[in-house]
Amino acid sequence: MLDGFVRRRLADGALTGKRVAVVLHLEAKTAFLATVLADAGARVVVAGSNPWTTRDDVAAAMVERGVEVHSSRRSTPEVWEADLMKVAETEPEYIIDDGAELTVRIARDRPDIYSRLKGVSEETTTGVARLRQMEQAGRLPMPVIAANDAACKHMFDNRYGTGQSTIQAILQLTNLRLPGKRVAIVGYGWVGRGIANYVHALGGRVVAVEVDPIKGLEAHTDGHEVADLMTALGEADLVITATGGMRSVTERHFPALAPSTILANAGHHDLEIDVPALRDASTTEEEVRPGVTRFMLDGEKPVFVLAEGALVNIAGGLGHPVEIMDLSFSVQALGCHLLASGDLAPGVHQFPIELDQAIATAKLASQGIRLDLLEEGQSDTLSELLEADTWRSRGSQ
Amino acid sequence: MSSTGRGMIDFARQFMPALAAATETVSGGGRMTGRRVGIALTLEPKTACFVEAVASLGAEVAVFGSGHSTKGAVAAALAESGVQVFAEEGAERDRVSELREAFIDTRPEYVSDDGASIVRRIHAERRDVLGDLLGVAEETTSGVRPLRVMEAEGALMVPCVAVNDARVKSLFDNVYGTGQSVVMAMLDATNMQMSGSAVVVVGYGRVGRGIASVARGLGARVTVTEIDPVEALAAHHDGFRVRPLAQAVTEADFVITATGIGHTLTAEHVALMRDGVIIAVGGAGPPEFDPSMGPALEWGPEVRPKVRPLSTGSGVTVFVVADGYCANTSAGEGNPIEVMDLSLALQLRALDLLATGDLAPGVHLLPRHIEDEVAGSQLAAAGIEIDQPTEAQIRAATSW
Repeated sequence: MLDGFVRRRLADGALTGKRVAVVLHLEAKTAFLATVLADAGARVVVAGSNPWTTRDDVAAAMVERGVEVHSSRRSTPEVWEADLMKVAETEPEYIIDDGAELTVRIARDRPDIYSRLKGVSEETTTGVARLRQMEQAGRLPMPVIAANDAACKHMFDNRYGTGQSTIQAILQLTNLRLPGKRVAIVGYGWVGRGIANYVHALGGRVVAVEVDPIKGLEAHTDGHEVADLMTALGEADLVITATGGMRSVTERHFPALAPSTILANAGHHDLEIDVPALRDASTTEEEVRPGVTRFMLDGEKPVFVLAEGALVNIAGGLGHPVEIMDLSFSVQALGCHLLASGDLAPGVHQFPIELDQAIATAKLASQGIRLDLLEEGQSDTLSELLEADTWRSRGSQ
Repeated sequence: MSSTGRGMIDFARQFMPALAAATETVSGGGRMTGRRVGIALTLEPKTACFVEAVASLGAEVAVFGSGHSTKGAVAAALAESGVQVFAEEGAERDRVSELREAFIDTRPEYVSDDGASIVRRIHAERRDVLGDLLGVAEETTSGVRPLRVMEAEGALMVPCVAVNDARVKSLFDNVYGTGQSVVMAMLDATNMQMSGSAVVVVGYGRVGRGIASVARGLGARVTVTEIDPVEALAAHHDGFRVRPLAQAVTEADFVITATGIGHTLTAEHVALMRDGVIIAVGGAGPPEFDPSMGPALEWGPEVRPKVRPLSTGSGVTVFVVADGYCANTSAGEGNPIEVMDLSLALQLRALDLLATGDLAPGVHLLPRHIEDEVAGSQLAAAGIEIDQPTEAQIRAATSW
């Protein structure tokens, strides 16, 4: 997809000489996106969207290919902030952002550069929510494309990609079994739905936790148990947070956890499981397996945190499967191209449905899958509904 | 290095309540005290818990493991705690043979065997230690099969307990454990997505059932191939497409073998595959996938850790996980902790049963009460209660 379909779409020169900052989890698939943009003529600068998820070998390979990279694995939050600001200093015209991490920092610290930004394409649910807040506050002077909200992104990446890779990472880090496990899933958005689907299919028992009544009802109707967080935590062997917010599991929840509970985070924030609070409430902290830290709560109750509370599928695993990111990054690349070639008004824009459909069509074609075309007479048209003769002739009355 | 091994062993023990219960039960009889026990299972954190349980009962324990599945940090941690270790991570074939002979030289009285490799070796080449051998507990389907052949030919000189054949082993370890871990190891090794893909599962025994179920759960379209009409009919009733292997592989994205039988999938089949197919073995390992049988294929260098390309002359390249060794142990950490908890609790009870000295040479099943106790201990740890049959039910079930 990215290598064929997207490259062809980007070949019209719209990106030539444009300064594009790419801020995403920095691993092999992201590197390929940066390469495709650079090959289309853009001047690409890259930073990681999280202090813990950059792969150094990939970063090195990108530098070798002439891409400017400001990122390293296991950096500290301070170093990561400094890296983001280095990217800001390059005065990007366009940003492919994750969690709006770079956009928000430029708005806060470099209003001069912020006022010259020409567009942002945003990868995540969390980032889109942040940018909408900026818009409402009257602080969004440029167009933003909600790449996350594209069907070809969230329906696949958030649900199947995060769903499969989260479960995969948890099982790989712990070597535990899913059948028979009681799994509390905190948040039933696209990510939570995906995780719940895989947990159920692999023999785990889901209990979903929500604050939104419609999503709670959806989880219930999907056949999952739904409970309040305190009740769910008390019965869980494994807790997965997927709200995209912060402090979903924090100090007041710790007493409810059963001994040996495993805590993993699938949301954007490292602070979704409040690890600093857990540290304060614990007498000891020890990494017992790679990526598995045991906290002794009150000196007697062990609980295990995976990947230090960072996104478990990326910080503790291989990230999303290759095929899924091919879709997501097709959206991002076309979003960036649209920003560079169009004259969109300031504000948050949906990803155009024509582009969404073009990506899905190309993906299906690459799999050798054919669809049907709607034939004349198969759709319910307004003129037919309003013309009595036609209506009767259809035999509807 | 050994501190990581220690951490991993202790983490695993936290999720092994059945092994803890079995250790307590066996300690009451005192039969393992002073016995020489050889353990030849895949050497990693869970089996290390078993090794330490046997050692805690007063036995002198020696362990042997192959080069491709031994975890070095775990071996080091065991050596530090006084176990004789004959296993080195990454050891090549000749070195593994040396280690195995040295392990047999400890003249074990009881052996926990995997694939009947030690008991066969002792019967065939090392009869000098056969007199010391008092019993064998066999872990796998692939090992019980040759033991039954030996028994039928009158060649088996010691009592063997077919731990594998216990329902508490094969209904859980083979189905849920291997099913989950083979698919996960393959996905971890390749970073591929399973939803929307076409998966061919070769063999619909317990392992094949587990793999097919996990693949379906992950959103794959699964095709099963079989040589046994009853198993094939079962796959059909479970809602899977059933096809001959040569036909099924032409449409596959993933091919996973689970027959435990050599020469199941060969170069003849690879020649029929599409470009980019992933091949993994969930059964016995080589030569279950035998790329030497059929047209010449060429191996390339690893493209990712544990993934090597195999090319035909006609432009098709497939990718083989862990060189065709069992994917879950060679590209992953083996079966999940909780299912090994059951299997290893049974292993311990089997060793204890053999140590009673009541069993004659031949292949024996574990008695039902032992299975019930082991299953009951994991249920109890999960806080799950079940019903007891009423007097009326017992009468109805036992009368005619």
